[in-house]
Formats: sequence, structure tokens, C-alpha cells
Amino acid sequence: MSRTVSLTLELSVMRISIAFVGAASIATTFPLSLDAQRAKPAPEKTTHVSLASETAGREPKAFAPLVGSWVITKDAGNNVLFIDGRVWKRGQPAGGLADKARELYGARNEDFIESIKAFAYYPIAVYKGLDNFENGEIAVRFQMIGGTLDRCAGILFDVKPNGDYLTVRYNGTEDNVVLWTFNNGVRKFVNRATTPTPLELGTWHTLKISVHGTQLKSWLDDQPMHDYTLAHPVSGKIGVWSKTDSMIEFADFTVTPTSK
Amino acid sequence: MTMRLRFLPTCAALVVLPAAATNAQAKKTTRNPTPRAKLAAECTWKPTDGWVKRQAEFFDESKHDWTNDSLRTALLAAAGLTAPLKAPVNFGVHVEGRDSTPPAGAAAMVAALTKLAATRGSTWPTKSVVGAAGTHAVSMLVSLDTGLARAALHRMMEAGPAESPAVDVATLEDRLRLVWGRKQIYGTQFRRGPDGKVELAPMEDSSHADLRREDAGLPPFKLGLCMAGAGKS
Repeated sequence: MSRTVSLTLELSVMRISIAFVGAASIATTFPLSLDAQRAKPAPEKTTHVSLASETAGREPKAFAPLVGSWVITKDAGNNVLFIDGRVWKRGQPAGGLADKARELYGARNEDFIESIKAFAYYPIAVYKGLDNFENGEIAVRFQMIGGTLDRCAGILFDVKPNGDYLTVRYNGTEDNVVLWTFNNGVRKFVNRATTPTPLELGTWHTLKISVHGTQLKSWLDDQPMHDYTLAHPVSGKIGVWSKTDSMIEFADFTVTPTSK
Repeated sequence: MTMRLRFLPTCAALVVLPAAATNAQAKKTTRNPTPRAKLAAECTWKPTDGWVKRQAEFFDESKHDWTNDSLRTALLAAAGLTAPLKAPVNFGVHVEGRDSTPPAGAAAMVAALTKLAATRGSTWPTKSVVGAAGTHAVSMLVSLDTGLARAALHRMMEAGPAESPAVDVATLEDRLRLVWGRKQIYGTQFRRGPDGKVELAPMEDSSHADLRREDAGLPPFKLGLCMAGAGKS
């Protein structure tokens, strides 16, 4: 079975995407970037990220917390991932950011660190188990616990080595689902789902996105939220996202990469 | 249509003792926060409690580093406050029907704040503009008008924790949620039941209330209930 591989070359501000057929031949013919060489092939099956073997009170092992205080905690006896906004401090990345960035992006981590610092109001934790998500579905369950300024739970995707990313998030202080882009240190509103959806704190809900080429769809508790055409195809790491002092529990992070 | 709300009590009036206590006792307790022997154990606090220290930190005005002193003075007068405010400034206990009458100048200041909130790009009176006491005065004044309160809450949240008193933001959000027909989330709003007893207004997710209250600089839930003179819910 042939597989389409998209290789993205960063040339100054211009981005060129080249599609090839036959991954094996590319690897021998073209000098790939370090990221492409390290990329794990996307399995075409649903991966459910289990937190069962994680230790409560510690940082997660399955995710790399880059901004904010992310810890494993218990909810009804089960391990969940908690972003603890009580300890949020303005502009503070998570501890050990350089080491974590190095683990994710090898030597090319300086741009990443700079961008993450610029976006330090927005806690993120990057999933370590998949290097490149292009097409497919990502879902996560979340429960809002609190946050005086914000109560945000989001899916992080298209995370680039320079720290740019996209997020589809639910905001419990605005009752809406919005797609945001974070590029070169600038956060930009892209698209708001038209349906306001108030959710109660302390109740579990599911946020899901699907990406096929440039087509992005999102759902909140199976209710359609977005059907939007992105400016570029998605290609990058994934994870979970939050904002400032939000206190959110995340669980059942699942990813189903597909070839198209 | 906006709904007129009663005036949010000042810091002194916010100290509500169990139902039998008199207002005079409440004021006395504010001046001297030392626990009184006859109060229930859960109805007392110490100046070293985390939530008291958190409020003290925000309301510390020893640096005098606000920029608009005339606006600050006007706000304090309109709200009937005298600076400096001594922590705890807000216990997060609002019992419907126990509101005090707003000072004479309150209505004019509410009108001015309404105009300000409606002006795009206007500078909202945050801590760096009118000082911490000024921001508390703003919180009290905006609570008089639902439409203004909504706009102000948005401005206060947007300004962030260094510029807006989290304890006031939380209390205001609870109050507005009830006006909008939703449940409160911090447990700061109380009502009188059919039997005349004070009871907690509808609340969601009370199991995580203390996490939220800690984040906002509010006293523990148990203390709030005790101060309101409410039965445990």
C-alpha cells in the first residue's frame, strides 16, 4: 500500500509543502530534516492514552508539560491530568522547559522555547506518543473545576518546531468553542462556533476534532461546533491546551490518525 | 433591560455573624478579627490564614502607585469607603435582603462607569489606575446595575489577577450567574428560605468549591456558610 508523506520545508517566512508517494524512497533520496527522520509512522488505529500507570501528584509521563503546572490527580479513583491554575504565574513556562523542548525537538529547540515563552499565558502539555499528526481525529474528555479569570479546555494540534500551533478550545467563562492560531508570538482568533453552550462545572464533557487535509471539524459532546477550512494542511505534534488560571481535569485523550 | 440590584455591602457589613448576632457585633468583629470565644470554631479566622494573607497582599497600598488619584477619591466616596482597607476586605458572603443603602453619590458614579464601559478602548479603573481600594469601590458600585456589572466583570477578568481583586471578581460572577438563571460556583450568595432561615443559593459543583475559593482568595466554604448563618447544605 502506498502512503502519502507530506514534507514541510521552512524557508524564511515562506512555507512549501511537497507531497511524495512512497515513504521509503524519500528517506533514501532526500536529506530529511532531523524532525522528519525522528518522526514515528502514524498508526492508523485509535490510541487511547492511558494514565493508569502514572503517579498521582507527579507530572505526567505521557505528556510533556511546557507551560503551566500539569499534574496527575485522582478523580473518582481514576488518574486524570490536571492543569492547576492556582499556581499559575504570569509568563512562567513550566519547569525544565529547555529539557522538555530538547526531548521533543532535539537540537532545534531555541525557536520553540522563544515561542512558548511568548505564549506563556496558555498552559500546554504535548503528547509524547505521536510525532506528527496530519489527518484523523483527536478527542479528550474534560471537567472544569475552576479558574477566576478563565476556565478553558482545548485540544492542541499542528504544533511546529518553532512553537506555532492551533487549538480548538471550550471556554467556560464565555460558553463557546473557538479555533485559535498562535503564530510567531501572536495569538489570533480564527473561528467561533455559533452555538453558545453553557456547561456546569464538575461535569465531564467531550471535545473532539477531525482533520482531513485543510478541513477541520469540531464537536462538543457530539454536537457539531466547527466546519472550517484551514489556510494550510495540519502537520505537527498534538496535546492539550488551557489558559491562565484555569483548573481543568483532562482524561481519555484519544487520537486516530488516518492517511487522508 | 437591566435589573437594579441592591448595594453590595461594604467590608464591615459583609461580616455577617450567625443569625442571632447583631450588626453592632459584626462591626466590632471587623475592627478586631481575633476569634470570639462564643463563635463556633469554624466561624473564626486568623490574620495568618492563606486567604486573609492573599487579600492583604492585593489590598496593600503602601506604595501609593496608582495614577488617577481624583478618580480614586471619587470612587471611594461614591462607595462609602475609607482607605486603606484592612484585610479581609471581602468575606464573600452576600445575603439577599441584608444589603445596605448606597451612598448618595453612587448613582452618578454608576452612570459614569456605565459610559466608560461602553466606550471602546477606554481605560478601566484597575489597580494601577485607582489603587486596590479603588478597584473594590468599583466592584461595589457596578453591582448596583446588572448590565454594568456584566461589562465590568468582563473588564475585570481581562485585566488579570494583578489588576483586579479576584475575591470581588468571584463574588460578582456568582451574583450575576444567579441573575442570569444559572447556579453560582463559589458559594458566595445566600437567600432566605420560606421559613426565614438563611440558605445557600443554588450552586453547582460544591465538591470543588474550596479549590475555586482558594484561587479567588475567599475563605473556606465552611467559614462562608458559618458567617452567613446558613445551615450546611
